[in-house]
Amino acid sequence: MSRSERSGAHKDAPTFQDVIMNLQRYWGEQGCVVLQPYDNEVGAGTNAPATTLRALGPDTWRTAYVQGCRRPTDGRYGENPNRLQFYYQFQVLIKPSPDNIQDLYLGSLEAIGIDVAAHDVRFVEDDWESPTLGAWGLGWEVWIDGMEVTQFTYFQQVGGFECSPIPVEIAYGLERLTMFVQGVDSVYDIVWARGNDGVTFTYGDVYLENEKQFSKYNFEIADTDFLFKEFSDREAECMKTLEAGLPLPAYDSVLKCCHAFNLLDARGVISATERMAYILRVRTLAKACCESYMENVVYAKDAQAAEKGACDD
Amino acid sequence: MTSKTLAFEIGTEEIPAFDLQNATKQFPKLLIERLDDIGLSHGDIDCYTTPRRMIAIVADVAASTEALVEEHKGPSVKIAFDEEGNPTKAAEGFARGKGIDVGSLERREVDGVEYVFAVTSKPAMSATELLPSVLEGVIESISWPKSMCWGTEKALFSRPVRWLVAYLGDEILPVRFAGLEAGNVTYGHRFLSPGAHEVNRADDLIGVVRSAHVVPSEDERKAVIASGVAKVEADTGYTAVLPPKTLTEVINLSEYPTVMVGTFDEMFLKVPEEIIVDAMLMHQRYFPLYDNGKLTNKFIIVSNGDPECETTIVDGNERVVAARLYDAKFFYEEDLRHPLEAYVEHLDEVVFQEQLGTMRSKTDRVARLAEKLCVDADVEASITQDVARAALLSKADLVTNAVIEFTSVQGIMGSYYAIESGESERVAQAIAEHYRPRFAGDEPPKDIVGKFVAAADKLDTVCGLFAVDQAPTGSSDPFALRRAALGIISILQSGLDISLERAIDDALSIYQESDLEFDREKTRAEVLEFFITRCRVMLHDQGMPLDAIDAVLAAGVLEPVTIIERVAALQHARSESADTFDDLATAYGRANNLRDADAGIDFDPTLFSESETKLADAIAKASTEVEEYLADGLYEPALDSLASLRTPIDEFFETTMVMDDDDRIRANRMKLLNRFIGVFANVADFGLMVKTR
Repeated sequence: MSRSERSGAHKDAPTFQDVIMNLQRYWGEQGCVVLQPYDNEVGAGTNAPATTLRALGPDTWRTAYVQGCRRPTDGRYGENPNRLQFYYQFQVLIKPSPDNIQDLYLGSLEAIGIDVAAHDVRFVEDDWESPTLGAWGLGWEVWIDGMEVTQFTYFQQVGGFECSPIPVEIAYGLERLTMFVQGVDSVYDIVWARGNDGVTFTYGDVYLENEKQFSKYNFEIADTDFLFKEFSDREAECMKTLEAGLPLPAYDSVLKCCHAFNLLDARGVISATERMAYILRVRTLAKACCESYMENVVYAKDAQAAEKGACDD
Repeated sequence: MTSKTLAFEIGTEEIPAFDLQNATKQFPKLLIERLDDIGLSHGDIDCYTTPRRMIAIVADVAASTEALVEEHKGPSVKIAFDEEGNPTKAAEGFARGKGIDVGSLERREVDGVEYVFAVTSKPAMSATELLPSVLEGVIESISWPKSMCWGTEKALFSRPVRWLVAYLGDEILPVRFAGLEAGNVTYGHRFLSPGAHEVNRADDLIGVVRSAHVVPSEDERKAVIASGVAKVEADTGYTAVLPPKTLTEVINLSEYPTVMVGTFDEMFLKVPEEIIVDAMLMHQRYFPLYDNGKLTNKFIIVSNGDPECETTIVDGNERVVAARLYDAKFFYEEDLRHPLEAYVEHLDEVVFQEQLGTMRSKTDRVARLAEKLCVDADVEASITQDVARAALLSKADLVTNAVIEFTSVQGIMGSYYAIESGESERVAQAIAEHYRPRFAGDEPPKDIVGKFVAAADKLDTVCGLFAVDQAPTGSSDPFALRRAALGIISILQSGLDISLERAIDDALSIYQESDLEFDREKTRAEVLEFFITRCRVMLHDQGMPLDAIDAVLAAGVLEPVTIIERVAALQHARSESADTFDDLATAYGRANNLRDADAGIDFDPTLFSESETKLADAIAKASTEVEEYLADGLYEPALDSLASLRTPIDEFFETTMVMDDDDRIRANRMKLLNRFIGVFANVADFGLMVKTR
């Protein structure tokens, strides 16, 4: 039995990588900078600096990228067909939000082979708030025939700063979306790639072993003393980097802190009381990075422009 | 001048369901208020809303406001002009006040005296000129629980506004908002009639929208869904359950609803139905179908898609349900691998409140308190045993997978797990019921075991949070202590024979023994006061007059059940024989004002007049009766006894001059009055019920 028969995916449906490449091409055509995934652990595409930091300030910014996301507590040792501790988001951020953004989004679904007129596509209220980022926005989760496939958010505030102009963020759950497109019921049955000679790789072929090993590591093995120390060390490193006026490398340390915290959480060594304290520590760092970014990047650019204007006179 | 129809549409991205429902109430009111403010006459208004649009249609709007000429009489000419005939300050001030030039003042004779007059005229204003700013004001005035900006605009609305249509008759009104200007284009259903649709006059708007696959009002969509559901019920013989909240959401999640039926694998029916229902209602907004009260594997989907694509849409929804139920079944079976008691120790991983410790320590306190309540109520040993067991297990399900995933089934899952772990039916029922009453109007636990656990759980929460200064303030009540207190009162009323005052003392003692540092006396007083205030508010909300409530409270009653019953009896007696009680209250008030509380009660009967002797005898009789009735909790007969004092006290005041010149007689009468007041002391302060005429 060939792999694709085993997976039960529709024969002519796009593969996982087709979905990714089609989304990249589509948003690239809309003028987005197609970035490659950020090379640091993040819990969501939102947390990559191309979204968090670039959402700040008045400049136009358009980007689209795939982002691997780590959520250690969601690990299920590869035994649950819907849950993963590592999964992929496709993230789009456009600032200012275009007037036709909902239509552009529906166009992206068409681009990956979903005939939106033949399904029940809905925008269901879902407000977004990230206490660790001092950020919030309003928007929806998008349902196709009852399945949530996308988060759609107009950012209002990031790092405690009001957004102006307003960026819109679209975050697709790539596995969910592909499961829908391919009509499979287990994430591990997703067809990732299919060669002309019929050789097929499923998501399970690529990631099942990864899920098993990382679930065990996250829940049972990860050294908690090491992680507690990593958190504190990275916190100190972040502050030191900020003192040097370098928000971008400082923000990397915030991401490291977040991941260390998530692993400690998965190891079950953080009580509910401590949890709040850790979240506050991360928030302090994240906000400090945003402040530094505003000061050293956004305002500095404004000041340069003003100075240049003065010289030209 | 002919009147015309006004049509106004705000086209938006999808507005949240409940916010839309609320705005639907504001929208027509705001528009009418503003039309009336500018004095533009109009007929009825119809309001239509969907997640993507808010439409108001106003019939018979006048083409203009009416011109208005007004004459205002000013000072007399003598005052308005000086000897040289120049206008005085008075004339200037009057003219300025009316907004006209002093030279335009006219002179007219009134009753033989000449006065100055200001004649002002407001010209008629055309509706087309006035309406754009009126409509702009309406958009800005709708208040939203949360509003947002978009793009580069500074305007605020629930979600981005994408188009505006505004017509008076066949004339476009140039309404501007958020960089948009109203035009002749509306948009149809996103998928069934996509794109722009032209509108040529106000009267056409609703027709165009309807023809573009939009069912334009909440009521119409509700009716479409109701008839779809009725058809499904007729076809299947099943009954659908449509909770109002979910129904509102579903109505406002579509512009063109179609009712469809989905099915899930019967094997999932082994999972407790509460989880299945939670997954369907809360997460997916499906309506479950029941066969004679038993959940079936069919459910109702309300789609916003093309009815032609029903097969595809149903198939997709069935996959989603299957995935969720797979999770639910997986969690349920995982949870069953350990007896419920095994989860109790894991409660130390869940914080109840920072200073009050974990749910594990709360469980211990609740178990101890519940046992003390059993002792107070003097119940049989088997009940005490069940209460102790249920209290110990009451919170255990909080750390099971199913409850972590589907939080609304807390307690209910615990009871399933209890049965599977071999606990008694009664213990299982108490675990399921102990969160009751969960909201205003919810039933308290049915069984006595559940009542004990529920009361202990809530009282532990109230006392603990007051002890660490987390009492509710203003509108902030993060731990829902007001609801908890009302819950306790409703449990006591439903038949739990304990003293709240003693229970509070027990709860505080348990906290002290757990080494929590707090000011016990202060906390005790605050908690008692909190319950009394809740009683007062509750009784007042139920329509009891405040003076009757306060009269009972002034007698120093602390037990909620006593307060409630006594207020009811007092109010009943008062409405049955209004005159008697009015007079009694008046007499009580008079006696209370006249008397000297320090004079004591040891009167000398030999100094009495006839009416005094009668009163003294009546007091003695009533006093004994009232005491006996109160001891048995019989408030109505007690009040009847008090009512019997009306005639003698009235006679006494009619015939007797209390402030006699003779000190001895006066003092003796004071003592009699004190005795009179004393009879009421344990019932209510009647002085607070004197009618103010």
